[in-house]
Amino acid sequence: MYRWFVRFQNMDRRWIFLGMAIAILLPMLSPSSASFSIDRPVRDIYEKVESLPPGSTVYISADFDPGSRPELEPFYRAVLHQLFGRDIKVVAGTLWASAPPLVLPILQEVAESHGKVYGTDWCFLGFKDGKELAIKAIGENIPKTFPTDFYQTPIEELPVAAGFKQLKDFNLLILVSAGFPGIKAYVLQVQGQYDLKMVGATTAVSGPDYIPYYKAGQLLGLSAGMPGSAQYEKLVFLDAGTCSGFEKTFLNSESCVRAGHTWVKRPPKVMPERLLGIEALSVLNLGHLFIVGLIILGNLAFFVTRPKGVE
Amino acid sequence: MPDFTSMDVLGAWLSIFLTLCILSFLFEDNPIYKLGEHLFLGVSIGYSVVEIYYGVFKPNLIDKLFDREAWQAADGWNAADTERLFLVVPLILTLLLFTKFHRKYGWLARLPVAFVIAAYAGVKLTGEARAHLMTGIQQSMPNLKEAWAQNLAEGRETTLRVWGENGWTDRVVTGTCLDGDTWYQGFWCWSNDGAGVFSAVVLVTGLIACLLHFYFSAPHNRVMRGVSRFGILILMLSFGASFGYTVMGRISLAIGRAQEMLGLDKSAELVAARNPKLATLLCLGFIILFLGIWKKRGGGGDPDDGGGGSPKTKDDLPG
Repeated sequence: MYRWFVRFQNMDRRWIFLGMAIAILLPMLSPSSASFSIDRPVRDIYEKVESLPPGSTVYISADFDPGSRPELEPFYRAVLHQLFGRDIKVVAGTLWASAPPLVLPILQEVAESHGKVYGTDWCFLGFKDGKELAIKAIGENIPKTFPTDFYQTPIEELPVAAGFKQLKDFNLLILVSAGFPGIKAYVLQVQGQYDLKMVGATTAVSGPDYIPYYKAGQLLGLSAGMPGSAQYEKLVFLDAGTCSGFEKTFLNSESCVRAGHTWVKRPPKVMPERLLGIEALSVLNLGHLFIVGLIILGNLAFFVTRPKGVE
Repeated sequence: MPDFTSMDVLGAWLSIFLTLCILSFLFEDNPIYKLGEHLFLGVSIGYSVVEIYYGVFKPNLIDKLFDREAWQAADGWNAADTERLFLVVPLILTLLLFTKFHRKYGWLARLPVAFVIAAYAGVKLTGEARAHLMTGIQQSMPNLKEAWAQNLAEGRETTLRVWGENGWTDRVVTGTCLDGDTWYQGFWCWSNDGAGVFSAVVLVTGLIACLLHFYFSAPHNRVMRGVSRFGILILMLSFGASFGYTVMGRISLAIGRAQEMLGLDKSAELVAARNPKLATLLCLGFIILFLGIWKKRGGGGDPDDGGGGSPKTKDDLPG
């Protein structure tokens, strides 16, 4: 056993990479569904969007790039489906130079699937450089910061965006942010000053940094990483419904049944071909188990092979 | 079926090939990895330069400053002209940055750098003070009664007497906990991520312990050492949570790439047009073949270099 642990400690690290590759590929080739519950911060985003009346307008800041796409694209798609499904208008922009080729096609695809018209139901303002200064400028004066949309159409000619002078004029601000500039910069520069209603989705790496914002009420909801995205997909596409006999229509299914009411499922208007976040979650579980197993074995090997008398 | 051009297919195959190029570094640093790395850096920098020129410099500076028609307008000197003239200042500051390349006049580059730092500090100051400092202090003093009331069963109302602008008033707080009727209601709510009186108390004691851990103006006697150890425990829990989230993020990225390479993130039509599985197999085969030939010709260093390496002889074993 001692020699085995010594060998384990000196193992070529490429075996770990191979093991991780197998742990990721295996569940992908033979998919299985893992059950999971919804976290409160994620449900809060859903409920916030559900509470908006049809015809409201939200501003989406889609600040992510291909590097963070796997974690944020499922959330971005799900929230767009939810918004368009509820006839809520969308004005989107980005502070990341590499974002437009990624976020615009998704926006177009989801809007078209719901039969929404560009300029009337949604628009894309494009990329604005300047990071925190750009956020400050959007907070103060949108037409001055974005005089035209992505296609160089003057913003006054777009019915969906005309009349919105500042960020606070929107019913809700949805931040899909992979880093800087993103949620933190919005909280610092505009949230407090204009008392904005904001919800955010971010990567797993940034998640712990933004939890204090959620606890303090600066963010009204927070989704972190792939689990957050998968939970949001579940809420929008699989769990959506109404609680009969209860005035709070967006009460979740578990508490509805527990309260003695009946949960009536509401199928989504458009069901995507794939739910990437949910599909990835079982893969993520196996990857985590592999890492946890290695950490336990590594610690065991360390303590077993440690020379006696050394603390 | 949507119209897919050959460029779409080429782009998808190139993306898979470059992903595998970068992943080949896991085997060893090699020329095919270098190809992917250099291509990535070059394209990123080129894209950023073009984006910043056309998105920032051209519309905000060059187009406005060198707008001949605006300057030649026969309506006399007006406010817009003055505003345009002021654009000479950022132009000069930008040009001063390039003096960095000159040994004698390199110090002039400090002027725009100082301007940027000062302006940025000013912009950050108010936001930091309001969003971090003030809110952080507020949140570090939780109201235990409110924490209790908020984490009772969903819908249960509690009337709290609170101090506000109009003196003491009654405020109704509605419970939000979805755990059902538990005996520990108010102290701990699972569905609210452990919120409740217990968490509020841990927050305050943990904060004080962490602060005392970094307080060196008093000797760390037995009591202080105990508090300090608790502070370290809290810090380690926090770092552990961050590390766990980071690992999760990295695995998620790997899953994203694997989904693309196996064609699991696209519609059936796109997958049929692009055939990503075939692309993955062909690219993987090519890279393995290349690495095999490269190694046979003496490429790379010691295969165990930096990779740990298994012990080969009895002498390699410690003890």
